[in-house]
Amino acid sequence: MLSVKGLKANVGEKEILKGLDLEIGPGEVHAIMGPNGSGKSTFAHVLSGREGYEVTGGSVSFEGQDLLAMEPEERAHRGLFLAFQYPVELPGVNNTYFLKAALNSIRKSRGEPELDAVSFLRLMKEKLKVLHLDDSLLKRPVNFGFSGGEKKRNEIFQMALLEPKLAILDETDSGLDIDALRIVADGVNTLRSPERSVILVTHYQRLLDYIQPDYVHVLSGGRIIRSGGKDLALELEERGYGWITGEEVAA
Amino acid sequence: MSGADFDRWIGVSSPGSGAGLDWLETKREAARAKVRGQGIPTSKQEAWRYTSVKRLLEQGFVPADEAITALQPEDIEEVLIPGLASHRVVLVNGRYLPGLSQVGQLPPGVRIGGLQQILKSDPDALRDRVNGVAGEEQPLFAALNTAGLDDGLVVLLERGAALSQPVELIHLSVGMDEPRVAQPRHIVAIEDGAQATLIERYLSLGQSLYCTNSVLEVSLGRDAVLKHHRIQDESPNAFHITGLYIRLGQGSRYQGVNVGLGAAWARTDLQVRFAGEHAECDLQGLYMAGDQQLMDYHLDVDHRLPHCASRENFKGILYGKGRAVFDGRVYVAKDAQKTDAAMSNRNLVLSEGAEVDAKPQLEINADDVKCSHGTTVGQLEPEMLFYLRSRGIKAPLARRMLCLGFAGEILDVLESAPLREQVADQVGHRLEHAPLD
Repeated sequence: MLSVKGLKANVGEKEILKGLDLEIGPGEVHAIMGPNGSGKSTFAHVLSGREGYEVTGGSVSFEGQDLLAMEPEERAHRGLFLAFQYPVELPGVNNTYFLKAALNSIRKSRGEPELDAVSFLRLMKEKLKVLHLDDSLLKRPVNFGFSGGEKKRNEIFQMALLEPKLAILDETDSGLDIDALRIVADGVNTLRSPERSVILVTHYQRLLDYIQPDYVHVLSGGRIIRSGGKDLALELEERGYGWITGEEVAA
Repeated sequence: MSGADFDRWIGVSSPGSGAGLDWLETKREAARAKVRGQGIPTSKQEAWRYTSVKRLLEQGFVPADEAITALQPEDIEEVLIPGLASHRVVLVNGRYLPGLSQVGQLPPGVRIGGLQQILKSDPDALRDRVNGVAGEEQPLFAALNTAGLDDGLVVLLERGAALSQPVELIHLSVGMDEPRVAQPRHIVAIEDGAQATLIERYLSLGQSLYCTNSVLEVSLGRDAVLKHHRIQDESPNAFHITGLYIRLGQGSRYQGVNVGLGAAWARTDLQVRFAGEHAECDLQGLYMAGDQQLMDYHLDVDHRLPHCASRENFKGILYGKGRAVFDGRVYVAKDAQKTDAAMSNRNLVLSEGAEVDAKPQLEINADDVKCSHGTTVGQLEPEMLFYLRSRGIKAPLARRMLCLGFAGEILDVLESAPLREQVADQVGHRLEHAPLD
């Protein structure tokens, strides 16, 4: 589904990603862990097409297409979704209107008919129920004045509604209390399917207690330096990042 | 150039309206003298520093003195807002047309009608009201309006009267062979404890060239309430000038929303005077200016008395080669303690060719007050745009959504849902055709 080969990217003059390789198959959940400054968020942003990052080498193909050549909206149309670490507040933009515009844009790009107001509301209610969310968030402007937990839940709700093929969760667990974390995790688990892949970018192992990854990768110095199963995350939790990053330096 | 350039507006003789009323002729004559004495505004005058009247003078406007009688109710159906129930008064080229209006049943103590009509039937009701708020010392365009005073809307609510439906003024302009200037004068008087909502809509049939030079005088008695929603959506070739004069009695409340969308050249002068304590004045504004458009706002809020509050919150969206001027002045006199005044002007400038001159001024002479002002001129936030695009929303729609979100704060103040939706559609429609890239 996603094939990343030797990806290099700069922020300004500084090289952050230094040859990142990653293969993700359909239905797989990959956790990308690593110390602060290792390039985790940069990787998530480059995949989503955010401005301010310059790709200087390597390639990313998504279902056989050159992902890096696409505009951000096109990536979303093809089924990529980024849950933001810091969801952006959009004062004055109603959340329901926003969600409908997003869903219909994606449907349109696939040649599907746009949903009318009634069908859309029905779909929204259904998704809210699955995620055990109440509808108070929908009447407010997008993320505006939301608490940290509400913002993250809104991200998960968008993900549930837009049904991406590949969801990237950029430190979605950061700053969440245990209840909010559980809602986020439930949301992701509900969406797990043989066709849908997930990248969990996280600093802590905590989220992985709730979402069992198929693979765990350690990103350090702009490269994946260790890959393994979920046991690797537990080991990181116990021993910190030092033992691997140190190993990297020694190697 | 001299004041003579407006001679054609004034005309040699007075309009027939209010014939035989000496007091009215005296006011007109005084205004004519004022016009001749003032001359043409130049950029040396502070009020005209950023705006030239050259384009306006070049058009050679003449007074719209013919009544447009050919219009039938079905001709104006396209400008009506479905679902908006109102006491409707229609003016065409400045003239009240009862045949197109639908004032309907009025509760006791309420009078709604045409100025000319009431000058004929009950001139004494208007004697002290004409220039009653605007005063005799009028700036040029208000003086021109007074000199040509002929017709307009009159809304009179006696003590304690209340309207459950809004009064809707539709001012419709229809193009003529020669470019015309209509100068409606509106009088709105809400006496003690009375309450009303006024919706003013300035519209055109077609895209013709004309000028509207309107004056509205609002007086609010003790504890009176007026909600006033003004939508200027004139023809893209039109010139629109308006003077809004508001006087607030003790404990009264005025809440205004001023939306400026149309016209090639639009000038608004807003004057607020407090005549009693504990009064509140809330002025909200939204303007859009694209290619060939100028939106020019001048606010003059005078806190002479203590314990009054005023809000001035204007937002602008500029694109193409659009231009806007926001010149807001809030004055707080020495004795006006406990004044609470906040002025804000925020602008979204979506293109390099667009321009805004913002000049908020607070002049405070009292020491126990709460006053603030702020101005911003900015672009759309790239992070906001990216957030929307990352959800599959294409850049042009994403920009429109953010602009509508920006405008939403003002549009939300419009109480009537059908009106709010209609105006939001107009804003959206303009954004759709705006070169936003």
